[in-house]
Amino acid sequence: MNEFEWLRQTRALREPVSPRRDLWSGIDAALDAAEAPTAAPAPRRLLRQPQNWLIAASFVGLSLFAGSLAVHLRDRTLDNATAVSTDAGRWRPNDPRLAGAAVELDAANMELRQAMEQAPNSPALQRLLYRTQKQQSQLRQMEHQAG
Amino acid sequence: MDDVQAAAAGDRSAFQRLYRLHVDRVYGAVFRLAGYDHARAEDITQEAFIRAWQKLSGFRGESAFGTWLYRLAVNVALMDIRSRGADPVTMMDEDDIPDRGETPFCAAERDELERAIGKLPPRARAVLVLHDVEGWRHEEIGAELGMAVGSSKAQLHRARGLLRKVLGEV
Repeated sequence: MNEFEWLRQTRALREPVSPRRDLWSGIDAALDAAEAPTAAPAPRRLLRQPQNWLIAASFVGLSLFAGSLAVHLRDRTLDNATAVSTDAGRWRPNDPRLAGAAVELDAANMELRQAMEQAPNSPALQRLLYRTQKQQSQLRQMEHQAG
Repeated sequence: MDDVQAAAAGDRSAFQRLYRLHVDRVYGAVFRLAGYDHARAEDITQEAFIRAWQKLSGFRGESAFGTWLYRLAVNVALMDIRSRGADPVTMMDEDDIPDRGETPFCAAERDELERAIGKLPPRARAVLVLHDVEGWRHEEIGAELGMAVGSSKAQLHRARGLLRKVLGEV
């Protein structure tokens, strides 16, 4: 067999072949996924959400610690009557131990609200915000009972 | 506005029509380069069409759309081969390669030939398929695979020799 006959034999293999399955659905889905970030800016912001989550979670953790510390010190606090004052519209107990917890809870509240501006429908953020506000409420109640 | 222009402007339906029109030719070439492996050929074909969509705005119409798409798909298939790091030269035993004077051609049934090509090392298969099946020139193969024309010829010679050896075992 010479090269001409060989090439005639191999060129005969050059024929269209149909895929075993329709590949379009996979291509279409991949194009949708690839275009999602450029088509709508909102999902791109969601990419930053984990960072906000970490920040919010760290503040919530701090506030939980501060809250537990405040509860631990409550009995002592009850002996020292404190007055409630406001600073630029924010509630601040006069007792420095409760004031520290209040600052942490305020910061956590603010971080969570900022995070929720980017992910307003996030159930986890909503739960964290609810817990933070509940702790703020408990702190106010402690302050009231002390005062 | 034809489907190519419409697809370049972002019309997904037009692109789907182009897919339907060209998929068999693209898949055929990719299927052969992938060693007649359907699963790999499907992955590569999908990747090729995704890249085509992404690069379509840069298509200037200097060649027919089908030719542009075919070349793009072949390039994706070759990148897949490169990513697997296979090298036919190092995988072949020099003693098994015919001398220059020895004819490396032999007759075979179509199925036998396809099976034998499928058994070739990926890069050797790429050179043989592109030259002997797809009809590419050595200049084109060299440019696509990043090798000199002489290297392409040498690799084809080696690939044919290995194919003959494989055909003898089929």
